[in-house]
Amino acid sequence: MSAFAQLEIRPRGGPEVSGGNCVADNGLCPDWIADNLDRYVDPLAEHVQMSLISVAIGFSIAFALALLAHRRRRLISPITQVTGILYTIPSVAAFFLLLPITGRGMTTAVIALVAYTLLIVFRNVTLGLDGVPDEARDAGRGMGLTERQLLWKVELPLAAPEILAGLRIATTTTVGLASLAFLAGAGGLGDAIFDDVNFRSNVVVAGGLCVALAVVLDLLILAAGRVLTPWTRSP
Amino acid sequence: MTSQNTAHPEGPSASPNAAALEFRDATKRYAGSDGPAVERLSLSVPAGEICVLVGPSGCGKTTAMRMVNRMIDLTDGDILIGDRSVRDQDVTELRRGIGYVIQQIGLFPHRTIGENIATVPALLGWDAARIKARVGELLELIGLPGDHRDRYPAQLSGGQRQRVGVARALAADPPLMLMDEPFGAIDPINRGRLQDEFLRLQAEVRKTILFVTHDIDEAIKMGDRIAVLQEGGRLAQYATPAELLAHPADGFVADFVGADRALKRLALRRVRDLPLSPPDGEPPEPVLAPDDRLRDALSVLLSHGVQRARVVGPDGALQGALGVEDITRSLQP
Repeated sequence: MSAFAQLEIRPRGGPEVSGGNCVADNGLCPDWIADNLDRYVDPLAEHVQMSLISVAIGFSIAFALALLAHRRRRLISPITQVTGILYTIPSVAAFFLLLPITGRGMTTAVIALVAYTLLIVFRNVTLGLDGVPDEARDAGRGMGLTERQLLWKVELPLAAPEILAGLRIATTTTVGLASLAFLAGAGGLGDAIFDDVNFRSNVVVAGGLCVALAVVLDLLILAAGRVLTPWTRSP
Repeated sequence: MTSQNTAHPEGPSASPNAAALEFRDATKRYAGSDGPAVERLSLSVPAGEICVLVGPSGCGKTTAMRMVNRMIDLTDGDILIGDRSVRDQDVTELRRGIGYVIQQIGLFPHRTIGENIATVPALLGWDAARIKARVGELLELIGLPGDHRDRYPAQLSGGQRQRVGVARALAADPPLMLMDEPFGAIDPINRGRLQDEFLRLQAEVRKTILFVTHDIDEAIKMGDRIAVLQEGGRLAQYATPAELLAHPADGFVADFVGADRALKRLALRRVRDLPLSPPDGEPPEPVLAPDDRLRDALSVLLSHGVQRARVVGPDGALQGALGVEDITRSLQP
């Protein structure tokens, strides 16, 4: 519980400012929320930054590993096992395990969050590449595409729906897990929630922003996917 | 040894329309298997002809074909296109110079019809205007409406996809085409139509074509020459369809072409190929046309229970008469 002890409780703002008894009663107070939205700007920004950096790094690593394993298939099983083990470490444990090594702050949070994206992205890129029809590969080689051209012009585009699906899961998962990053001293919306866990207005706004962020990012990737894979829309 | 490049003028403008193909003791052995998959296969295909490799499954016909564009590498022997060995050429350049059609067609699902057809020209670095013009030309050649250019393969019927596969193989005007069971995935009715259409197309483009099938009827219909392979990739007989049906080299070939080979021979010739006798009181029905295949003509005569029938041209003019015994005689040497 030592981490919780470090949290400072910020003043909510007096009842005379807005909200009246509602605030004192820990209720859901629209007036208070309207007046205090600005206190969530920084946590939200931290949350966005932390999530996007983690997903970007995690995606890059897992994507590179998947391309490597695509050429050397015997690597698939060990990479799946190692990323699988990382995936099963409880996130709270991961943050506390890293604290003595990397210290409190964004770095620790990002390292842990990256570890959770690896399995999801690696598996989906691998599945996507495995799902490419053999005849498309055979025709491509037979027409004189080099292995590199085959990968970038045929295999990866055809694997794109699976890859994007993995990216969506990794992103929403990361946004959710980033709520615990305050345990590593990285701030974020989790910090805002634990600031005042008894005050319903606070929990609903901070939690709601977290959910909204996940939904917005998910829809953005979905929309990007539709633009990138027009052939999947044909009847 | 240096190759004499002067003998092979290259570059798009000098691209020849067809090249002769020659197998010289081409052999494929796989490590750990008893016999070779293809054993000392030697045959030559003159430029502009269709050579069909036919045989039961496991006879090595697809292996033999795939050695030409080095999708499978030769263990021994050689294959020459024009007079260049496939061994001496860079494998991607070699493949870009050979049309390739496979049974599953293998169109790229994520690319439009136009982009699919443009695959090899784009790899060869043609400029956009030239590619656009060539795609238009090929869509017309295969009889696909121009607005299909921007559709995706999933939006086309099986027959249309098959035609696009052929157009894609023809795109860079290669001197040689490899076709592995190209009509294998098409239903029988459309298969016949596509075969006819392809033969009309070939009469125009006159490519050298190596065509693989397991179907002897397709081989007889499509081939200028037929190579019958038996297990282990041994060449049992290499001959024109007429020669193959009239004189099978051995029991295996005779079995493979079937007990109805006399009827198959009749399907190769038409009424106008035989000398007609003067009409001599034949009944008004049935009537044969000069374009009728002898097999169909015989069937008409037998089903009407008559010995002879009149032959009437498309203009309605009486050309003569043909009888069952004329057809029988045509089968004799």
